[in-house]
Amino acid sequence: MSTINEISLKEAAGLIQDGDCIAFSGFTIWRRPVALCYEMVRQGKKNLHLFEVQGGFHSEVLIGAGCVKMWEGSWIGQELLGKTGVNLSRKQCGGEVIVDDYSHGHAVARIQAGAIGVPFFPTALAMGTDILNPEYDGFARAGQRDGSNPYVARKKYEIVKDSFYDMGELLLMPAINPKVALVYAPMVGTEGTVRVLAQSYNDSDVIKAAETVIVICEEIVPDEYLRREPTQNLATGYEIDYVVKCPWAAHPTGSQYYYDTDADFLRYFNANTRTQEQFDKWADEWIFSVDSHEEYLEKLGVKRIEMLRASQALGYSTRVKRGMR
Amino acid sequence: MNASNEYAKVGEFKPIDLLAAAGAREVNDGDVVFAGTGLPMLAITLAQYTHAPNSRCIYEAGSIDGRPIDLPTSVGDARCCYQCAKAGGLYEAFYGQLHSGYVDLGFLGGAEIDKYGNLNTTVIGDYNSPKVRFTGSGGNADINSYATRTVFIMNQEKRRFREKIDYVTSPGWRVKKWPTGEWVPRREVYGKFFRGGPTAVITDMAVFRFDEEGLMYLDTVHPGFTVEDVKANVGFDLNVSRVSGETKPPTYHELDLLYKKVDPEGIFLP
Repeated sequence: MSTINEISLKEAAGLIQDGDCIAFSGFTIWRRPVALCYEMVRQGKKNLHLFEVQGGFHSEVLIGAGCVKMWEGSWIGQELLGKTGVNLSRKQCGGEVIVDDYSHGHAVARIQAGAIGVPFFPTALAMGTDILNPEYDGFARAGQRDGSNPYVARKKYEIVKDSFYDMGELLLMPAINPKVALVYAPMVGTEGTVRVLAQSYNDSDVIKAAETVIVICEEIVPDEYLRREPTQNLATGYEIDYVVKCPWAAHPTGSQYYYDTDADFLRYFNANTRTQEQFDKWADEWIFSVDSHEEYLEKLGVKRIEMLRASQALGYSTRVKRGMR
Repeated sequence: MNASNEYAKVGEFKPIDLLAAAGAREVNDGDVVFAGTGLPMLAITLAQYTHAPNSRCIYEAGSIDGRPIDLPTSVGDARCCYQCAKAGGLYEAFYGQLHSGYVDLGFLGGAEIDKYGNLNTTVIGDYNSPKVRFTGSGGNADINSYATRTVFIMNQEKRRFREKIDYVTSPGWRVKKWPTGEWVPRREVYGKFFRGGPTAVITDMAVFRFDEEGLMYLDTVHPGFTVEDVKANVGFDLNVSRVSGETKPPTYHELDLLYKKVDPEGIFLP
């Protein structure tokens, strides 16, 4: 029987070094390790390299706060709760962040290859587009593809001809093995078994691909409980390195069967962090004015938190106001 | 509920209602539909409540054939998973479903489009020093490259319907062959992986389709607009020789469903 290495939120953020290549769990505005990202901002991390199948609120926070030097992924935004990634847009247009774009299928291929330990993954998705335009290879233009950065492949992709079944040309996408995976999961067992309660997104791939895995969770439960239904589990304890217990760690993103996405909070963020001055004001209020996630939750208040609490029958809140009615 | 299948009159519906209804009509009963976030969700949900109850919907975060009772605000939403046949992840959606060839219809949005159905959702301006960044591809390029048919829902504006778009995020009927970037017919790049391509673009003014050469033409004009109105809002020389008539408005039944069943919370519908 094994045990988990439980650490505090501050200790977890302290494991991240300036310049680290990081990948995250979750999908746009669901199951993101937000509390850990807030703490990284408080600790003033710099020059991070984010590999994201797709980004969301958490990446917008890190980018807005000036923690990120390189961003690669297929998409960034908050979907219907803030269509575009306004902070990446500002920093990319201002030349402050080096950006490299992929399609979702390409990014999935890359993390899948990293997860299973092969150097590349074949795909015929999204061919014929400017994603493959050599002129638009952002990392190459920034001199990152000379082999000196172990987290950047020497080529963005390769076109190969199938020699097995004569299917013609298709793509090979290079593996990505981030230095650190920051994963939010609702439940971690006492032996480290990880469970999520809905779509698995790329969480399992991110865990397997990364060198170091930090899981931040709502609660630590007896492993015996999770082992009663092993088909529901995402990862084994030996795949993860550190566990942080931090209720509501994903807010304002959602966690199925625990709490919904905070629509008002996300919309407000998207509308009010378009300039750096606006972002700094927002960060002062929600990140720097508090010293812990408990203080952040107190600031949110019981009324708001209760509104977000998920129905145990449906997995989401029926009380949260999402639209105009 | 108003069960009348009579068409509503101009003034009795909003442009977004017609967009949703016209979008829904592109779904065939039995289709496996891969839908993006936003208006495509309204259209596929309305189709499932009306003429296409046996269509199945995949959302890219991994929910396969969900039966949401509340409209999702994200394709990764808890709501997408309600009653789904399978909840996997992105590998399942993009490789297990899309690359495997199960998807009949892709349902997507976009910021800019050209006459071959190439779509831009990435940047305005030069990619290397852009004026604005949008979301990026997400699943748009993948779904559009591998669904048998793809339908786009967009706003009709001259600056969005362009002769040349700033960045080809998602492949139309003529695409770039790398490493040179030479424009070639889509089949030349996809070869044996070819499955289809864009079939319709639905806007707040009209419905467009693509001819045998992969060129966009005007098919129907929405009630209250003329062919000239549409031409004035398209930035390339639009083929209007094949106009088949007026777009059918939503029915009273469809309007009732939209406001009472599909989006009672007013996420899209004001």
